[in-house]
Amino acid sequence: MRTTRRALIAAGAGLPFLRLAGAQAQRTPGLLRFGLSAFPPSVQPWANTGTAAATVKLLIHRGLLSYDTQGNLRGELAEEWRNEGAEAWVFRLRPNAVFHNGEPVTASDIKWNLEQIAAERSTAYYRAEMQGISRIETPDERTVRIVMKSPVVTLPNWMASYHMGMVSRRSPAGQPIGAGPFVIRSQERGTSLDLVAFDKYYKPGLPKLRALKLVAYADENLRVAALQAGDVDLIEYVPWQSMASIEADERFKLDTVDGPFMYLLFNATRGPLADARVRRAIARAIRRDDIVKAAFFGRGSPLEGMPIQPNSEFYDPELSKGWRYDPAEARRLLAEAGHPNGFSTSILATAQYGMHKNTAEVVQQSLADIGIQAELRLPDWATRVSLGNRGQYEIAVNGTSTDNNDPDGLSNLVNGSLSPSYVRSYGLRVPRLEELMAQARAEFDRAKRREIYRDAQRVVLEEAPIVGLAWRSQGYAMAREVTGFKNMPGSLSFFSGITLEETAIG
Amino acid sequence: MGWAARRIGVSLLLVWVVASIVFLAIHLVPGDPAELLLSSGGVAPDPGAVAELRDRLGLNLPLAQQYVSFLSGVVRGDLGTSLVDEYPVLDEILLRLPRTLELIAAGALIAVLVGIPAGTLAALRRGSAFDRIASGLAALLLAVPVFVVGTLLVLVFAQILRWMPAGGYVPLAEDPWRHLTLLALPALAIGKGLVAVVFRMTRASVLDALSRDFVRTARAKGLSPSRVLMRHVVRNALIPVLTVLALHMGTLLGGTVLVEYVFNWPGLSTPLLRAVEARDYPMVVGIVLTISALFVLLNLVMDLVYAALDPRIRHA
Repeated sequence: MRTTRRALIAAGAGLPFLRLAGAQAQRTPGLLRFGLSAFPPSVQPWANTGTAAATVKLLIHRGLLSYDTQGNLRGELAEEWRNEGAEAWVFRLRPNAVFHNGEPVTASDIKWNLEQIAAERSTAYYRAEMQGISRIETPDERTVRIVMKSPVVTLPNWMASYHMGMVSRRSPAGQPIGAGPFVIRSQERGTSLDLVAFDKYYKPGLPKLRALKLVAYADENLRVAALQAGDVDLIEYVPWQSMASIEADERFKLDTVDGPFMYLLFNATRGPLADARVRRAIARAIRRDDIVKAAFFGRGSPLEGMPIQPNSEFYDPELSKGWRYDPAEARRLLAEAGHPNGFSTSILATAQYGMHKNTAEVVQQSLADIGIQAELRLPDWATRVSLGNRGQYEIAVNGTSTDNNDPDGLSNLVNGSLSPSYVRSYGLRVPRLEELMAQARAEFDRAKRREIYRDAQRVVLEEAPIVGLAWRSQGYAMAREVTGFKNMPGSLSFFSGITLEETAIG
Repeated sequence: MGWAARRIGVSLLLVWVVASIVFLAIHLVPGDPAELLLSSGGVAPDPGAVAELRDRLGLNLPLAQQYVSFLSGVVRGDLGTSLVDEYPVLDEILLRLPRTLELIAAGALIAVLVGIPAGTLAALRRGSAFDRIASGLAALLLAVPVFVVGTLLVLVFAQILRWMPAGGYVPLAEDPWRHLTLLALPALAIGKGLVAVVFRMTRASVLDALSRDFVRTARAKGLSPSRVLMRHVVRNALIPVLTVLALHMGTLLGGTVLVEYVFNWPGLSTPLLRAVEARDYPMVVGIVLTISALFVLLNLVMDLVYAALDPRIRHA
């Protein structure tokens, strides 16, 4: 046969059908292969070491509480919990929970965990919060009574965090023994982790999977390629640019939620940014739709107020649009603050992550429109964090997610009385806001609490201690055959690993 | 003997200088490993926890003291432990270096198997269609960045054809066939640049050898053309080719990072990149020290071999 151009084109078109049998890894019944975005640096239960580690922690550990797929609190090691007065919380442990060494989970174990987390030499994420415990009582082996130094309505949320996994008090040093649905069987350092189901897990019939293989794919495009090639069944952190092609492919399902968000921070110790009117002018000048398009390929939505999710009971449709794009108002505010012709400043972000850099570029252009000339500074992430913590910037771009969907999680971002951090503005105190946030944390009446947060939102709109930019879509993608896995709502997206206990394949 | 001892001494000095520069440089770059680790995921860590971790990792000691303990560790063969997960740096290197060497060796094998015959043929048929197409292709291979080639290979072989896994690693002992399948694409990506280099070097070198007097003499005394080609032309032409190949392989020790990243190959470059990002000082210094020591060793061996072959070098 003569080689003609037509034959070549036909052969090219036929290529996708030329799949070699057996070249792909075959699915093993009951085994799910999960493509992680990073190899977890450590799976010690209490310290924060990132979201990939969080997924693993949710597989091998359980805390007192967790969340259901609607985002409501639910019992785990504790089957009931209630407050006694404003300061005490009582957790009633379920009778059948056992650690991986076969020993029952007792009140003494819980007490020991909380003491370790609060200890002087602890590196736990909730160290400061647990240091707010005045005493822990264990009247019997199934009851834990926690008395706080001051009233805290969000203690159950803290207990539901993946940083609050409870391990056996008899764990050897450095080898925590958890009570989660899976056990780590082996690992290929830096590459993959093999987990098997724990046969004495306290929920009957769970986990549904027999085994899990977690494989780290640091490159986002390769992670998608691995899913498309059938190397893995489920991936996290789906890159925004790949979401459309995954949605269009009938072999896969895409599950996304708007959870994490981008925002602006300010150094308020000097210059025009110390003036709330200037910060508010900036808030009104940003073309947020462009950020959603440029940084997230349209996969997100504008954030025009305090970051509270639309499905939250604390959401207020009016207040959440308080920073609508309005360049005329922005110019008026600038003039009122004594900068009718704008001023020069700089924006700190990082070139290491595209979403930070792209966001910063749109902010730069938006500010130029109202006369603010900003120079971009884009060092690597480590330097960016260091400069942020030391206040060596004027305006900074950051992206984060709150610890849970309760607005109390936002205190971390807006409370200027806390120690300097790259997630908060530098040297920016709003005493009225600090008061309101503290009040809301101690308020057990839901209606009153909603009212306090409404006031807090008004103060945030006025003072602009941070400026919201955009919600970003957080996505998981999986093969059609995967069932039971669910992307949890809002900032709980990073808790989705908990649904792996109900996940099945085939 | 005195010359060799001096040469070895200079090499050791060189390694010490490199180690010291890397040690100082990475410590002087802004960024705090304890802060970074506990800030993973964009959250604010508790300052008390950061202070405690800094203390535990020995980061609060004066830099001079950290430097001295680092040097005394190196002398004892101890490169310290990772600041991220307290894993011994030396164990990490011993685990991952063979994988990077394997990748480089596989790439070099492809380069030799393709580049040398193609280069020889191109030289013999100088100016022919084959020569022009192959030379053009070599220029293209050199010009296209390795991450483009890598991504295209994944797209075609893993995503469209689905002949190969998209990337990853399985130990040889666990599953030899899958190990080699996973090695194929990254080896091709590494090999593509080397093929071009070997091809061009072979072509030039064979052309040069063809015009030498000894080739004319060999032909004149009636040797068969294939014998002239194999025994006299190619053998002589290969010496510079192999020297260049060896040098390129040396630079690849730290230069496989993009390929390892694109194909998820857990070699030595990936932890180096991660370690720089996380400011994991002992890991960065340990890996760079290993790579530079290997490079210096390679040069030292070459020097000593040349000196053994050519007395003029020893007395210069």
